[in-house]
Amino acid sequence: MSEPQAKSLTGEIRTSMYRVVIRATIDQVWSELIRSDRPLPFFFNGQYDTPGLQDGAAFAMRTPDGKHTLVMGKVIEFEPPHRYAHTFRFTTSDDPVSIVRYVLKEVEGGVEFTLINEHSAADDVSKSEKQMAQGAKFICENLKALVETGKATTGGRMMLFMFSLMAPMTPKSALSTNWPLECAPDLGDIRMTEEA
Amino acid sequence: MMSPDAMDAVFQALASATRREMLDVVRNGPGCSVGEVASRFDVSRIAVMRHLTVLEEAGLIISDKRGRTRHLYMNVVPIQMIHDRWSSEYSGLWAGRMLDIKYLAEQRSVGGCDGEDDDHAREKGEQT
Repeated sequence: MSEPQAKSLTGEIRTSMYRVVIRATIDQVWSELIRSDRPLPFFFNGQYDTPGLQDGAAFAMRTPDGKHTLVMGKVIEFEPPHRYAHTFRFTTSDDPVSIVRYVLKEVEGGVEFTLINEHSAADDVSKSEKQMAQGAKFICENLKALVETGKATTGGRMMLFMFSLMAPMTPKSALSTNWPLECAPDLGDIRMTEEA
Repeated sequence: MMSPDAMDAVFQALASATRREMLDVVRNGPGCSVGEVASRFDVSRIAVMRHLTVLEEAGLIISDKRGRTRHLYMNVVPIQMIHDRWSSEYSGLWAGRMLDIKYLAEQRSVGGCDGEDDDHAREKGEQT
């Protein structure tokens, strides 16, 4: 499934995988995964800010009002409707850059959606890595719910509601004015992080 | 959200102490090989393969083939979906706190691990 990657972290990689089967066509899942015209409930209501998702493109995941930015990344693989991968860093942390991959595969009864988190094994397990592990479960479950039923899970919707209540407590460092697309972490940053 | 068949498969897969232990081994060593799992158990390799297949078909293990080796990863999503079916975010939070207290108290009372594998696994599960 994951043949040797041209673009990857250097050195040993710590990988975790999350998978769910979604009862839908592969194009339905893909288009929901990459849509940028509205906030994505399965991405904690983040909305893509990008000139267009394609290999090499930078993006920011911003809150629905655009005021805050949750995540910055750069696309490192984009092969519709099967593979998408990007660098990943929370705006609120200085933790090393990670990679997130999405692999879609048609199986009997739907689409097998696999989310893969990759971290450099040279680094200790960071807070970001733990958050990403929690987030991955949320993404799998809620993407499935959204595609199959048109809305996120009950628990997911409650969490998004709590999230919106907590918006005033978002750290200043996450203000979108601090995060133009040029700040998106690329693989060069990853190597720099390792050398540091 | 989860189909009845998919849920049956998860419960059946987990209804075996050996398979639960195999899941622990895979979770603690993401990317491990079938051989590495087999070396931890005193049963034939074929029996190990059969157990791993049950876990894989239930979606609890993801097997990633790279070259000639299969690398195994635990997939926690099916268990999360079962959890979510019966507990809302709030009740989940408080049940989690109560379990923390239970595990802590039990750990104190026995003065460490007495070899009860399942309890030991749950203790570890609560740490993260």
